[in-house]
Amino acid sequence: MTGSVRPHTRGDRRTILVSLAVIVGLTVTPAFARPKDLDRSLDRASDHGVFRIAVHSTRAPIPLFRVHQWSLRIMDPLGHPVSDAAVSIDGGMPEHRHGLPTAPRTTSTEVAGEYVINGVKFSMPGWWVLKLAVRAPDGRADTITFNLVL
Amino acid sequence: MKKALAAIGAITLVLAPDANASPTWTPEDLATIRSLSPQTLPKPPADPSNRVADDPQARELGRTLFFDARLSANGKVSCASCHQPAHGFTDGLAVGRGIAEGSRRTMPIAAAVHSPWQFWDGRADSLWAQALGPVENPLEHGFTRTEVARLLATSYGRAYRRVFGRTPPDPATLPLRASPLGDAPAQAAWARMTPTGQQAVNVTFANFGKAIAAYERTLAVKPGRFDRYMAGLMGETRGAERFTPDETEGLRLFIGKAQCVTCHNGPLFSNGGFANTGVPARAGHDADSGRGAGVGKAVADPFNCKGPYSDASPDRCEELEFTVRKSPELEGAFKVPTLRGVAQRAPYMHAGQVGGLEAVLDHYNRAPAAATGHTELKPLDLSPMERRQIIAFLRTLDETGRKPLRRRSQ
Repeated sequence: MTGSVRPHTRGDRRTILVSLAVIVGLTVTPAFARPKDLDRSLDRASDHGVFRIAVHSTRAPIPLFRVHQWSLRIMDPLGHPVSDAAVSIDGGMPEHRHGLPTAPRTTSTEVAGEYVINGVKFSMPGWWVLKLAVRAPDGRADTITFNLVL
Repeated sequence: MKKALAAIGAITLVLAPDANASPTWTPEDLATIRSLSPQTLPKPPADPSNRVADDPQARELGRTLFFDARLSANGKVSCASCHQPAHGFTDGLAVGRGIAEGSRRTMPIAAAVHSPWQFWDGRADSLWAQALGPVENPLEHGFTRTEVARLLATSYGRAYRRVFGRTPPDPATLPLRASPLGDAPAQAAWARMTPTGQQAVNVTFANFGKAIAAYERTLAVKPGRFDRYMAGLMGETRGAERFTPDETEGLRLFIGKAQCVTCHNGPLFSNGGFANTGVPARAGHDADSGRGAGVGKAVADPFNCKGPYSDASPDRCEELEFTVRKSPELEGAFKVPTLRGVAQRAPYMHAGQVGGLEAVLDHYNRAPAAATGHTELKPLDLSPMERRQIIAFLRTLDETGRKPLRRRSQ
């Protein structure tokens, strides 16, 4: 590699040593730790077992900085599709204490238990959560939090 | 000869620690650093709301209009008066100054095409909608849309027709100064116009913005030292540069402890979003609610993506359709600006409240309470040396040409 590297000085070396000390310190005390046992499954039972819920991005890989669409499937524990549920979506980045950059909305499809989530956007790499609150027409309700690492 | 070889060996030994001081990056670090590369910057996104966005003739018309000071009440203010090409398309002032002093700092525009929202508060959802605002702002151009239409007809008729396939309204049919946003006489003149006449002027005014947007879309950020350093990291040898130890550690802090990359990410060092970072209110003024008020203006703007002057079908306006309209996070939040060329753009923040990069780092380090809303920041506990190193890194984002190499003795 060619480069315009200025001559190093004793001060530079001291800087490097101090910097290395800082780096070592960093590895010991990360600012915001992500749970090691983060459940990244996108198809599982809701928080109280009322539904089985699956989501996936209609684009692979999941795009950054672009509004895109996800698919959502809601079943009951017996595997019967749950149609016409009211679904609200929240989420964000727990490590950075901010919410989603957009306000996604869910609409039903013609397929029983299948929905689309429009307006999803992720504005940076990292750990994101998508929180869904589902209320079926018969009153059954539950929540679920999906974890994504982009 | 032996003495010479021994001397070279001794020099090598002395230099070895420095030669080995080139940083070791983890795969995660490298992935983050790679995500900052301009090579990951896509082409400017399509703007379905502007059918002439990529028309070369529209670009040329827009470029001429951008520099035309006749588009102002005093004949002295053009877009380029504040967005000065020689100064990164900003003006070096705390707040912009056109006809009079404004309330916010002039934003750089070279990377703006990649952002779905324009202005510090995102009150415009396209470059062309943004271009219209300052023209009718009494503190900036102090002009009106009928004056714009008249100037287009008298001075740009042929070019306008080439681009838009029609001529602007006949100036003889237009009031001298009329606008729904102007002063009382201008508003009264606007109210006296027929709806058809108003619409014809609005179409012409929107086209004026679309031509300027076509020009602004072509303004690209230029690479700097950081990009040449990164090229070396990625294995390129031609044109690559090394960082000084301070610059290297500054980059490490930027993507690590200091968490700058949380918002200042991607090849433009901006996530294109809004954040409340607790910057103080402008001295002598109330706190600015930023995005908290801006989002409503964007949604209500007749020149937005879903409005009657947009060329997009409404289903192509996803950013507008799914924008967060109500959230405590919007209060006091401002657009995350690009950091490309940041060292040359003092003073900082949305109203130039912070004078220099040292003061910026001090602000982020202290994370004071917000003047309105709630800051997203937490204190960083950066030492003075660490702050200096981050600044050293930020200076590598300057859009600079490669420095001439000094030949090293063999």
